Amino acid sequence: MNDVNESTEHHAPKRWYRNEMVLFVSGSILVAFSLVVLGLGLYVSSGADLLDLSRPGYTSVRGEVNQSDTFKSFPSSGPVTQAVLDEFLTLYDKQTLQVMNDDVFSVSTLEDQTLGIDEPAAGE
Amino acid sequence: MKVSIVRLTIFAVVGMMVASVPVFAQSTEIMTDEHIANIKSNCQIARASLSRVHANDAPTYVNRNQTYFSIGDKMMATLNSRLSLNRFDASELVRIASEYNDLVVQFRKVYRDYDDSMTAAMNTDCLKQPVGFYDKVAKARESRKRVHDIVVRLTASLKEYRRAVQQFEIENKDELSTGVKP
Repeated sequence: MNDVNESTEHHAPKRWYRNEMVLFVSGSILVAFSLVVLGLGLYVSSGADLLDLSRPGYTSVRGEVNQSDTFKSFPSSGPVTQAVLDEFLTLYDKQTLQVMNDDVFSVSTLEDQTLGIDEPAAGE
Repeated sequence: MKVSIVRLTIFAVVGMMVASVPVFAQSTEIMTDEHIANIKSNCQIARASLSRVHANDAPTYVNRNQTYFSIGDKMMATLNSRLSLNRFDASELVRIASEYNDLVVQFRKVYRDYDDSMTAAMNTDCLKQPVGFYDKVAKARESRKRVHDIVVRLTASLKEYRRAVQQFEIENKDELSTGVKP
């Protein structure tokens, strides 16, 4: 009699949440989704998104980025003499030259008149 | 009774202060119908200009960010380290380099704010929300000014470091000519 009952229980259909396959697939999706969210979070929080010009809309300006790192490092060890400091200043002038122009991100680019959203003069 | 009146007054004053904050954050001047009509008529041109400016800013930021970092990391830090290893007093140079590095961090932060405000302006429909569009452009302009101000300060810091190196040369002329630190 007991054997009959056990046999009946054994063949009872499993509920969906007890099905290993469903749990495995949904768990995999959940893990993948969490990793994507984590990855995107790191991508944004690290500032990498601002440096990533492979995004849509930046195709035309991609070539303007300095691809090769030609920046020379000044040796951090060795003697310090007048000649060494003169050499440092020469290298410093050369390498800072490209950022000494502070006429970038000027506000005039976003002025109302430049964008054509200024208040029309009276009588226009 | 008196206590409840005082409480009500405090709540009312605090409530009014909180409610007035967003009002000040919005456009302080009332826009005329002509102005709104002008924004709508030039909407597409303005949005295209914003997109172009936003795209052109990206390589400028990438190049500047890389160069600013390299100057601090491969020039200033290495010279300061070399001077310290040779037992020179490089405290002034270290101070300037530290301020410079803080400015580089600020540069990244304000550029992030600027990028976010530009994106918000570009995503605003200037035909349906001309006033909101105008406010967001104004906010982007303010953010851009902050980026520009940091760039100006970075340039000043680079010049200051160079002057400090020259000053160091003058102050340590004898040791530098012999190459021997007393």
